[in-house]
Amino acid sequence: MNITRRILGKMALSLAGATMLMQAPALAQDKPAPFDNPGEVKIALVRYLSTGDFFQAYLSGVEAQAKALGVDLRVLDSRQDAALQADMVDQAIALGVDGIIIQHGLTESMKEAAQRAVDAGIKVVAFDVNVENDKIPQIEQSDRDLARLALEQAIKDNGENWKAGYVYVAGIAPLDRRDETWKEFKAKYPGINEAAMFGTLDNPIANSVANQARSVLSANPDIKVMFAPYDEFAKGVKIAVDEAGLSSDIKIYSADISTSDIAAMREPDSAWAATAATNPAVVGQVSVRALAMLLAGEDPGRQVIVPPTLITQAQLNENDIKNMEELSAKLPQFAHADVAVPAWMPLPAK
Amino acid sequence: MTLRELAIRYGFLVLLFGLIAYFAVSADGFASPQSAVFIFQSVAITGILALGVTATLVVGGFDLSIGSVATSAMMAAAYVMVVLEQNAVVAVAACLLIGVIVGLINGFLIVYMRVPDLLATLGMMFLLVGLQRIPTEGRSIATGMTMPDGSVATGKFSANFLALGRHRFDFFIDNLLPASVVVLLVLALLIWFFLEYTRFGRMMYAVGSNPRAAELAGAPVKAYKIWAYVISGVFASIGGILLAARLGRGDIASGNNLLLDSVAAALIGFAVLGASKPNAFGTAIGALFVGVLLQGLTMMNAPYYTQDFVKGAVLVVALVFTFALSHRGKA
Repeated sequence: MNITRRILGKMALSLAGATMLMQAPALAQDKPAPFDNPGEVKIALVRYLSTGDFFQAYLSGVEAQAKALGVDLRVLDSRQDAALQADMVDQAIALGVDGIIIQHGLTESMKEAAQRAVDAGIKVVAFDVNVENDKIPQIEQSDRDLARLALEQAIKDNGENWKAGYVYVAGIAPLDRRDETWKEFKAKYPGINEAAMFGTLDNPIANSVANQARSVLSANPDIKVMFAPYDEFAKGVKIAVDEAGLSSDIKIYSADISTSDIAAMREPDSAWAATAATNPAVVGQVSVRALAMLLAGEDPGRQVIVPPTLITQAQLNENDIKNMEELSAKLPQFAHADVAVPAWMPLPAK
Repeated sequence: MTLRELAIRYGFLVLLFGLIAYFAVSADGFASPQSAVFIFQSVAITGILALGVTATLVVGGFDLSIGSVATSAMMAAAYVMVVLEQNAVVAVAACLLIGVIVGLINGFLIVYMRVPDLLATLGMMFLLVGLQRIPTEGRSIATGMTMPDGSVATGKFSANFLALGRHRFDFFIDNLLPASVVVLLVLALLIWFFLEYTRFGRMMYAVGSNPRAAELAGAPVKAYKIWAYVISGVFASIGGILLAARLGRGDIASGNNLLLDSVAAALIGFAVLGASKPNAFGTAIGALFVGVLLQGLTMMNAPYYTQDFVKGAVLVVALVFTFALSHRGKA
């Protein structure tokens, strides 16, 4: 696979050289350079994480926005190999790309690679990985806002005094940021009593969390609210709540959403009351737009934050939403974020 | 019987009962019929996989592909019902078929292509992890999902299928016994009887302990080995069916944790009753042991990493029981 990519890279490099010699005349358009001739613009998406619905949707957003701009997108996928991901940045530099989106990864392995790209005159944005570089804007889904929206809804539904179960695994950056908000809420509302904290990432995650949640529920049958700030956790908790026959006594608040989550939230008597989510496809689009702004010489800002949306069970039922597409269609705030949208920016067709 | 022999024979069971007594005292709600049933439920899937891998251990082999067979079966069940809109019977049949086919291919690779068992099943593991993602381009399967071609899948998990993972039978108390636990108990009894008391099962042990002697005695060694992998594949696919029924969707997952947990259960089983060899009763006790530990620790709010630590410690102790204390450790 590597070898073919390298051969491809060499071919692309020689092609790029050939096109540079030809220098097609720029077409007069109302977009700033280089997007007056977008076919000449090459960008690369260098991924660390790729399996799962979230990352699939993120990629589709990147592809849609790249298509709307008319730029040439290359996707380099390191499949959770940190060293390979850094090599892939070098590959992208060798490919002669104009811009790079770094999607996830480890600060330690990506920091220098990102600096090399910047040194080579390539514009870089990073999604959900801090590469500690002032020249590189950070695209973020605001995990703190995600947790805050879900918890505010929990307070609204249940008052300020309840016994809670909390699902958390330390050491995962987005979960750690969500955890900060949970701690703030516990400090702000002393009536919230965290009776149990559990969690695991053993896959299938939902199944393992369901096993744990069952034990937690039998040890603490008076838990009223489960805060599970990751949808796989919430799915597991819901299975456990259903199996314990406590669906009507417990409410689950979570973060993230997918088609199967929508189905689970809409089951009759579902305990899953609300989730706060950023549309991964929108995050993908914003990543490309922020990079395009950099390429056009504009400043998207040091941090580009994609705001989350609160999605409640009631909303889903009222609008009869069955999957992610219908969610985007019926909740416009979920389908599009007014982030990194200068006037000239073409948006993907809805 | 010396103290040493007693320790080897009953040490592990004593440890298990000690644990149960400890948790019953120190964790609220542990000592209740619901909790007991639930421990069985939490180990049902890994337990079934472990029973399958026991069959391959008996013939001196190993099956690394069981975890991915289970998750592939889960994806297949979801695909058959949600995308192809078939009923529960077709879904179950498709899963079992996958188990049989994978078992046959594993057996064929090992017996006729002479690929070492670990390598053949490792290859199969990767192959299945990739294969299960191809039909949906890496998406999980749920009702209402958008297919790669843009259409929306409208099929549903059939209620009969979900019942396999969610239905509860009345057993002294209403709605006590989940279907998955019944499946586990039935399969455990079946494979135990099969391995211990049928000619076929005893021959499998003979093949495992000395394939050459078994061959010279006229046993069709190759056929026994292939059968062992088919049993393992089918058990793993049954685990996958129960997983799909519990989750209610097709979740992309490598199944590596399922593999590790079930192998651990089977290896712990070596130590039970001082058997020093793969055996179905030991495997079931091993799975139960891990289940009791994990659920008890969770009820006492122990974080997940201590659970991995404890799981590892139990396995090491069990292996010491098997190999160091017992003189028959070479088995």
